[in-house]
Amino acid sequence: MGTTERLYAPAFLRVLAALVPLLCGLLGVFIANIPISLAGGLVPAPLLGLIPLYFWCLVRPDLMTPAAAFAIGLLQDVMSGAPPGVWTLGFVVAYAVVARQRDSFAGLSGFAAVLGFAAAALAASITATLAVLLLYSVTPSLGALGAELAMTVTAYIPGALLVSLLHHRLVGPLRSDF
Amino acid sequence: MANGTWKIARRGNAQLPLVIVLVLAVVLVLVGKAQSGLFDHARARITDAMAPLLEDVRAPLDGVQRWMSSIGNIFSVYSENLRLKEENARLRQWRNTSVVLEGRLQHYEALLHAVPDQKLHAALARVVGRTSHPFLRTMILDAGSDDGAKAGQAVMDEKGMVGRLFLTGKHTSWVILLTDINSRVPVTVAPGSVQAILAGDNSAAPKLDLLLSTAKVKPGDQVVSSGDGGLLPPALPIGTVVQDGNGLRVALLADATQSESVEILNFARAPETPPATSQLPAEAAGLKPLAPPPPAAPTPSATPATPPPAPLPKLKMPVIPSTTTASGGSAPE
Repeated sequence: MGTTERLYAPAFLRVLAALVPLLCGLLGVFIANIPISLAGGLVPAPLLGLIPLYFWCLVRPDLMTPAAAFAIGLLQDVMSGAPPGVWTLGFVVAYAVVARQRDSFAGLSGFAAVLGFAAAALAASITATLAVLLLYSVTPSLGALGAELAMTVTAYIPGALLVSLLHHRLVGPLRSDF
Repeated sequence: MANGTWKIARRGNAQLPLVIVLVLAVVLVLVGKAQSGLFDHARARITDAMAPLLEDVRAPLDGVQRWMSSIGNIFSVYSENLRLKEENARLRQWRNTSVVLEGRLQHYEALLHAVPDQKLHAALARVVGRTSHPFLRTMILDAGSDDGAKAGQAVMDEKGMVGRLFLTGKHTSWVILLTDINSRVPVTVAPGSVQAILAGDNSAAPKLDLLLSTAKVKPGDQVVSSGDGGLLPPALPIGTVVQDGNGLRVALLADATQSESVEILNFARAPETPPATSQLPAEAAGLKPLAPPPPAAPTPSATPATPPPAPLPKLKMPVIPSTTTASGGSAPE
């Protein structure tokens, strides 16, 4: 859908386009938590829900709201089997970090952009780990956390290309930007 | 990446909602701590709904994995065959020993009128999913509450204990693996019946925390479930003690990453009831029951109302080797 057509698209389609970031985040969580592992459960699944959250928090924060980050984190909690609320808090804190430093993150490109995402993922992981550590007195394995972080950052490279494509085709910038 | 090429739509001016959402997230974590089963129903419903899809998706993946693993096996068929023949011969010897010992055990139990072990019912289930997260390592089975599965029941594969159920839906169940960071199982280390806790830490070999730090356990000792607390049946095979630096770990017999079919053991300890008089050890040993105390005898030369108890029959007791005591010394023989 071109930009001109998108401006004059029916209201229903515009609402649907506005829901794309949230739906992508929820879909990412769903895919990451399908309990099928090609590596026999040896490698943790990436936090795929973070990729749309990070991307649209930078380029369309009006569509990726704090409430959407909350919903994506909540689904991650439900589907991953983690203690209730830890990923919700982790995702919301990652959102807050990115939202507060939006100018810095948005200026990154290439490898630095991957590092920016890694910083956001690290914020989510550290928050979730601290919550588990403080409330449940359980020290999660640093190796497992590192592996999950590595998988998440690795998945960001193709994931960002995909959400960028979806953004171009379905969402687009704000009308005020034309 | 695309970040640098995108124009920022507008600066986020929704700081108040962000603060509110942060507070809500913190509240959710605290409520989740108070009610750990907050999402259990939703999880079970989602897994139940996904079960048919999982089975369909897993079938080709399992085929591919079997095919891939069989490629490597082709080159080791001969050596594997020799190893299995040798192992089979050893197992035959052990089988004969085990039959003899089982007969002796039954004889002793009959002599002592020992309470028989509870019969376990098992339900066979297939593994339809596995997940590995830093906070949870689990497998999902295709048996649920409709099949009699309940939270807390032990899950075994053909080699040993894999874990226990912690969440059951109608058609699916979640298993918390022994390697999971939240897993704590009371175990007994044999020989010596040393009590310990098997604590998962997301590694392949869980830690062994001895309840008495002075108890002596050495690598190679066998670890079985102790049955303490009545949640799990006793004597389920779990693994072998291995040394890990200054600590001890357990090399598990079961391989949760490879298990395809498992058994869910239906174990419920019956409420304890006092045994019947006829089942008491004295009568079981052939002694007459104790008579009520006789009334005060009017004359010292009166004949007792009951004959004196028969002398204890001489039973040949098995020789128990000296065991390690809590203080680290040897028990008196």
